[in-house]
Amino acid sequence: MMGGEDYRDRFEDIDWDDMQRSGLDSLTTQTAGFLASLGVVALLLVYDYVVVANDGPTFTTPFEWDVTQLDWLLVVTLLTVVFFAVYPLYDNPRMSRRYWREFRKNRAAVVSGVFLVGIFGLGLVGPLFIAKPDLNVLAQYQPPVFLSVPESTVGTCVGPVSDGMCHGTWQYPLGTTGQGKGIMKSVIYGMRVSLEVGLITPLIIIIIGTAVGTVAAYSGGIVDELLMRYVDIQLTFPTFFLYLLLLYLYGGTLFLLIVIFGITSWGSTARLVRSEALQRREEEYIQAAQSAGASEFWVIRKHLVPNVSNTVITNASLLIPSLILFEAAFSFLGLGDPTVPSWGQVISAGRSDIDTAWWISTIPGVFLFTTVLALNFVGDALRDALDPRAED
Amino acid sequence: MKWYIARRLAWTVVATFIILSLTFGLMAASPDPQAASYVAQQVQEGGDFEEAQESYERARGLDQPLWERYKNYMIGMVTLDWGWSETRSQPVTEAILEAWPYSVMYATPALIISTVLGVAIGLYSATHRNSLEDYAASAFAFFGISIPDFWFGILMILIFGVWLGWIPIYYHSDVPWFSLQNVQQLIAPTLVVTLSSIASEMRFSRATALEYVNAEFVKTAKAKGADSWRRVTRHIFRPALVPLSTILVGDILNIVLVSSYLVEVVFGIPGLGQLSYKAIIQQDVALVLATVLIPTFIAIVGNLFQDLAYTVLDPRISYGER
Repeated sequence: MMGGEDYRDRFEDIDWDDMQRSGLDSLTTQTAGFLASLGVVALLLVYDYVVVANDGPTFTTPFEWDVTQLDWLLVVTLLTVVFFAVYPLYDNPRMSRRYWREFRKNRAAVVSGVFLVGIFGLGLVGPLFIAKPDLNVLAQYQPPVFLSVPESTVGTCVGPVSDGMCHGTWQYPLGTTGQGKGIMKSVIYGMRVSLEVGLITPLIIIIIGTAVGTVAAYSGGIVDELLMRYVDIQLTFPTFFLYLLLLYLYGGTLFLLIVIFGITSWGSTARLVRSEALQRREEEYIQAAQSAGASEFWVIRKHLVPNVSNTVITNASLLIPSLILFEAAFSFLGLGDPTVPSWGQVISAGRSDIDTAWWISTIPGVFLFTTVLALNFVGDALRDALDPRAED
Repeated sequence: MKWYIARRLAWTVVATFIILSLTFGLMAASPDPQAASYVAQQVQEGGDFEEAQESYERARGLDQPLWERYKNYMIGMVTLDWGWSETRSQPVTEAILEAWPYSVMYATPALIISTVLGVAIGLYSATHRNSLEDYAASAFAFFGISIPDFWFGILMILIFGVWLGWIPIYYHSDVPWFSLQNVQQLIAPTLVVTLSSIASEMRFSRATALEYVNAEFVKTAKAKGADSWRRVTRHIFRPALVPLSTILVGDILNIVLVSSYLVEVVFGIPGLGQLSYKAIIQQDVALVLATVLIPTFIAIVGNLFQDLAYTVLDPRISYGER
């Protein structure tokens, strides 16, 4: 996984003193780049909280962007993905090509991947340029473009009216809700919500799960026992109802929802990592590292984690669709963030008007369904590509 | 093995105790949404803020020390005294007793249909791997695990209720339980719950059965002239039953609990899910807690049965270790 080894050097050609790890030298370009970028983000964070006035936007050029807590978290997550997923792939083209060959076999997954890039790309960039959908009593229940409904159900029709039928306009391509909010805008904001839930939560789960799993496997004894009994308790609680209770008690913002999802769902990941790491621990390269005097942290960081990473990534990619479905379900139940438009929220808003304005509940659901379907396809293909042992 | 079962039972009790304590801790540490709304209401009616808060705390026993409250809470939990539902003006247990038949009414058929059909289709897919039927079944399973329950329910209401008029848009609870009308209005919710659980069941049973399709003992059976029906039922289904029985109790039960919660909210069925949903909307803390704990207890018992089923079904596991 880590940097490309140069096999041309012979043993005696290498100046072994140079290879000694010490202080900052021990950092790889990857880690160094990641830490440097984190530093920049931290500086900006300080700037946002100390210099910028409380309500003012953080940036005014090139576009106005008031960075929220969640945005900071998203930026850090994206940085992590770039440095620990994209960079290693770039750095190791042979491996990347192999993964790609495996992945490409599954045509549905390739199509799904392209679709997801579109959805999440739009979700990432869209909210920066599009204003939040706002209340407009003059544009209630507008039908989507190319469709028409009897004028009586609409109130004020924004588009052309013919034969008593109100036609949709390009101003609201997907129609509007009972509050006159454009569904197109809500859907784009919903993409951002799903992106945040689907990216930040798995990262939290991966970090905690991997840390707990490897530490438990490598330390053994009482530490292992305590950590795994805690995991047992956490896994006994049915996820949905645990979220339900916590969101009822503490929820209200998307930030908290993501944090709650993240810190209560790493149990199965930790268990998986532990069993995987237990097998790895017995292998000879670990014993070699230990005999060479490597510290516990070094063995976990350099030998255990990279070798269980494929398992973890596969596991996380299969978690993402269910997390997105959970967020939508809780937004639907009114336990989400009322200030952020999300797919579940719009579906819920259209429920009572299902007989007159069917498009409000159905359209965001189409996006939710196709996104989750695409994620399932990609997750399945990733498992086949990353895990050579799963081949039959 | 007896020692293992005894330990497993003891762990169930301990886990229940810890979960109840954790829940109490959560409730005690968080601001009480019900108190806030009560106090706000009193202040609006001209009452004193402090006085309103105190009277609320007295009424709910919150002025006692924490240990006392914890003791009362635990004793109440064990003796099934789960508190008073303010919004329904009845004990919480009574509200639950009234609601559960409605949940069982459609969840049981859904559970049975999805188990029987799901396992059957999964086995068929595994033995006819890469056939057209297998691809169709896989596509259907992907569809089933990806479609959001609540949205699928809304689609059913829209298509079969609003456009075609075959089913009522809302559940009528005044209809007698054992009547054709009740069956008719429960078809759509049953289908929604079935779809979400049958898909996982199909995928899992296919994957499990695949491990045995090319096993030596199946090949031997074939060489000895066992027909395909006998091979599937005797040689593949039997060993696959062990992992299958565990997912059945643990995961499928969980899926049914979650999807029935959402389905009840969508269709307006006055079961446990809707009871919980209304309690959340109306800030009825005691009822929220009870309706969250019930599925949790079901899950704990489900997990227990799952592990016990393993010990009975699979003689290969040694119980010296965990």
